[in-house]
Amino acid sequence: MDYKPIILSGGEQRSDDQIMAAHANSLDAGVKRVSGPSLPGTEDSPLVIMELLQRIRVKDVMKSEGIHSVIRTDSMRFAQNLMKRNKISGIPVVEGKRLFGIVSVADIIKALEGEWIQDEVQKHMAVNLVVLEEDMPLAFAIKYFQNYSFGRFPVLNKERDFVGIVSQRDLTKVLMNELTKEVVRLEVGGAERKEERKTDAQLPYYSMHQFVVVRNDLSNAGKAANEIKKLLNEVGVDKKIVRRVAVAAYELEINVCIHSVGGTITFILDSDKATLIAKDRGPGIKDVEWACQDGTSTANDWVRSMGFGAGMGLANSKRVADVFDIKSKVPTGTTVMCEFNLK
Amino acid sequence: MKIDDIVKTLDGTLVAGGESDRTVGAVVANDLMSDVLLNDSEDILLLTSLASDQAIRTANIVGAMCVVVHNAKPLPSTMVQVANSLGIPLVSSPLSKYESCVRVHDFLSNESKG
Repeated sequence: MDYKPIILSGGEQRSDDQIMAAHANSLDAGVKRVSGPSLPGTEDSPLVIMELLQRIRVKDVMKSEGIHSVIRTDSMRFAQNLMKRNKISGIPVVEGKRLFGIVSVADIIKALEGEWIQDEVQKHMAVNLVVLEEDMPLAFAIKYFQNYSFGRFPVLNKERDFVGIVSQRDLTKVLMNELTKEVVRLEVGGAERKEERKTDAQLPYYSMHQFVVVRNDLSNAGKAANEIKKLLNEVGVDKKIVRRVAVAAYELEINVCIHSVGGTITFILDSDKATLIAKDRGPGIKDVEWACQDGTSTANDWVRSMGFGAGMGLANSKRVADVFDIKSKVPTGTTVMCEFNLK
Repeated sequence: MKIDDIVKTLDGTLVAGGESDRTVGAVVANDLMSDVLLNDSEDILLLTSLASDQAIRTANIVGAMCVVVHNAKPLPSTMVQVANSLGIPLVSSPLSKYESCVRVHDFLSNESKG
């Protein structure tokens, strides 16, 4: 398996490309389903768990306060005592907000054996670090724990500052809590919804569906549009309208996939209108008007090689929709809304 | 013009998606999927050089009846899978896209005359 981790060498800053490569690879590596319906309609599906793993972020499970750390000129002995006193098995080497390395129990044992326990930690700390980014979905963190024998990973934010540490224990604890909540929600809600379905077998004339779109995962892009098309066909909406909605859904899905750090497509079907909402988590568009023009594009060659990136996405979505609205803020993200009259 | 005719005319091979008896309603020769999505025609025959899943997914959105990939380009296995699961006939042709356009045009002209 070709799996490239994000590796920081001794405080060096990692590039976005590395992050992207690692994201893409860890998706290949086993986080299988990333796009799919989530709200009503998926109660019986393991997708609920997949969605949970996408929704919960590394920052939700990491420990960010009260982290014990040492600086480069502290002695290995000092690190050893700190670890012993606080019953921890690894300690980050941090100065200011910058992460330089990690000292683990194994390093301490080696230092005791080799009699260099009085040395400064910078001589013996691990400097090639595999790190997580705080906005990564939990699925990535789990993959990392599977692929490496490390018991913990340092976490950096977008500015490359050290912001926390994730241990397997923290991760399991939060995940169990969330799963329990989800199960309760499904048990309570599931019973009610099954009742509803019996009485209204015809597909819901008010239904909402949400699809998770993962950054750069072009192989799954288009699945949401396909599902939406199917749903509309099932309710017997005019074929021409179905096509317009599907085109917008597809373009928006591709946009979120290639231009943002990830997001969701929400589809709301009402008796007289269908609404698509594409929402991403950043980086936002500086000049929205410019971006909505035909042919304006910030796509790279890779995206173009997939048949997209000609700058038609937003323009096309606008063209097919009855109502089009876009709001964007740098760096928090973009929300696009397309409404279609069904009657 | 049906799938059989397309395969024969373009010296192609039906790689995925199975048989269908739909007839070509319009021909679109394009590698840019956003352009394809703009097209309003029904039963599109999509002639493209884009050997990727997205060609099939786009074809599905516009309800295309067949996708032809040219220059005997190797087709990714995922593309074949997607074509099979969406039931869209996928044809691989050794011809250039230009040559395909000419042959399809001739076939359709003869068809309308005959």
